[in-house]
Amino acid sequence: MAHSEQLIQDLERKADRLRNHCFTQFCTFEQGHAGGTMSVIDIVTALYLHHIKFDPKNVDWPDRDRVVMSKAHCCEAIYSALVELGVYPEETLGTYYCYQSPFQGHADRWSTAGIDYSGGSLGQGLSFAAGLAYAEKLKMLLEPPARGDTFLPRYILRYAPRYRSYCILGDGECQEGQIWEAAMFASKFKLDNLIAIVDYNKWSLDGPTNDVMPIEPLVDKWKAFGWYVKEIDGHDMRQIVDALDMCDRLYGDNRPKCIIAHTVKGFGVSNWESLHMHLGRGEEMMKGVREGRAKYGDVQ
Amino acid sequence: MATFNKHIQIGGPVAFGKGIEKGMIAAAKANPKILAVLEDMGFPGIEWWTTTVPERMVECGISEQNGAVVAAALASEGFVPCINSFLFADIGRAFNQVRQSVCVDRFNVKFIGREGAWGEVGISHNTIEGLGCSRVLPNLVILNPADAVEAEKATVAMMQYIGPVLLRQESSPNPQTIFTDDYPFDIGKAYPVKEGTDATIIATGYMLTEAVRAVELFEKIGLDVAVLNMCTLKPLDEEAIIRAAEVTGAIVTAENASIIGGLGEGVAAVLAENLPTPMVRVGVEDEFSQSGLITSEGDELKAHFGFAAEDLVVAVQDCIAKKERLQARS
Repeated sequence: MAHSEQLIQDLERKADRLRNHCFTQFCTFEQGHAGGTMSVIDIVTALYLHHIKFDPKNVDWPDRDRVVMSKAHCCEAIYSALVELGVYPEETLGTYYCYQSPFQGHADRWSTAGIDYSGGSLGQGLSFAAGLAYAEKLKMLLEPPARGDTFLPRYILRYAPRYRSYCILGDGECQEGQIWEAAMFASKFKLDNLIAIVDYNKWSLDGPTNDVMPIEPLVDKWKAFGWYVKEIDGHDMRQIVDALDMCDRLYGDNRPKCIIAHTVKGFGVSNWESLHMHLGRGEEMMKGVREGRAKYGDVQ
Repeated sequence: MATFNKHIQIGGPVAFGKGIEKGMIAAAKANPKILAVLEDMGFPGIEWWTTTVPERMVECGISEQNGAVVAAALASEGFVPCINSFLFADIGRAFNQVRQSVCVDRFNVKFIGREGAWGEVGISHNTIEGLGCSRVLPNLVILNPADAVEAEKATVAMMQYIGPVLLRQESSPNPQTIFTDDYPFDIGKAYPVKEGTDATIIATGYMLTEAVRAVELFEKIGLDVAVLNMCTLKPLDEEAIIRAAEVTGAIVTAENASIIGGLGEGVAAVLAENLPTPMVRVGVEDEFSQSGLITSEGDELKAHFGFAAEDLVVAVQDCIAKKERLQARS
């Protein structure tokens, strides 16, 4: 079912608000992973503010969809979504990077409500997401819901998992061997409730990802590992939500899913885009923040 | 005839694996949440698992980094996964995974890691650095049982404990049976095997067998040496270590591991801060192990590393000499 133009526009507006929340965090210490956060922000918006099962009032809800931010240095995007959803008040954005703040420099499960995985060491998130997906299947096998005592009736569970497991990967991260260990694992155990999203912004810290260590042909690699693959423009909201829907519809096909989202590092802020900024600091950072604020600052 | 403490009865040699297998099956029968996470290295009681609860086995193949993180995720969903492999693989190869994905969030993941200086398999597999590299990890409990009875009890205790635990299964000759079946095992508690006044041997793992054998030798030369079994290497039983130093004033540590980062260093740190005491550390000096055989002619690696009861006697005599020099000075 095609989504209305109104919903897409609404999500685009929300994405701009999330960008704005990110700027607030970047201002705290004039520092942050601006490039990767701007490239993933539309994907995070589509997931958190539209697609996943998530209750801001009950973030530990056992049937919530799990989101593993494997490129956890871009946790500013998730924090922005949590603020937008009301899990945290807007003032918390100003505590980013601070001692004992729930908004730590890398996503941390015990510091932040609504975070499923403590990431930061690249390459591990897909294994965790695969483990969560495996656990969903195992729970259904070992503890099938009794008649009448479950949130989701049995007949629905035939067509949908109790929860889905999403994993947001960076493109540079795909150079880690463990990603492909996890890809084999997910394929072996037919984890069709697992959806990986590669934020393919083409740049990592040392330069263009495919110069640093070529990951191409990326689509063929995932396919060779037995995954369903869908390529999209990661800044086109309609394409993002359609791809997520497609992955839901394909549940039951025994294949894990990979959405390769072509994105732009530092998207939407010209000086960050031209610098392919990874970690921004000082004036470079603030110049971008001023430009971004002028562009997105008045979005309500 | 030496008098050992309660719950000590020296018997014939039994493999560590036998105890771990018994403990694992008992624990897994009692708790249906326990899962076997395999890394192509078998699992304690594998026949029972494959015939009785195959659905509770997760075979990850030779991909220890993935295995550790998958186990963390399973633990986050309420399961109690246990990984079994060589320690250099399930902890060493996956060190950062264990650190970041297991210990940071204190997930309830259990590791059984085979390690020690002995074996025919050579330098790659006879590893000795596992204690040093794992003792630095916050939240990780480390157990290193001394015989099959303790291995069984430690396995059960590990599976009941909530939080990450590493159980080190030593590569060594089979240890003698030392503990009785009603031996009260407690995580974090050292057990006094024998009392004494001249010196204390604090032993862990297989080296307790050599320490117990040394007791007879001490009697012959008129020394009264205490033996303390340190199964839990983290957290160390500081109280027991300090008490031993108070009573005997000379401490010899014995471990089938590198003396860097293991039991010896742990004990030394406790004593340096609380009650500086003369010490000798028996273990692998700063070197790698290699292949070695145990034949009727002898045990090549035991001789190479100086791990025999006779070597412990020399170490204890050294330590007592240090103590006496210190007493003479003051």
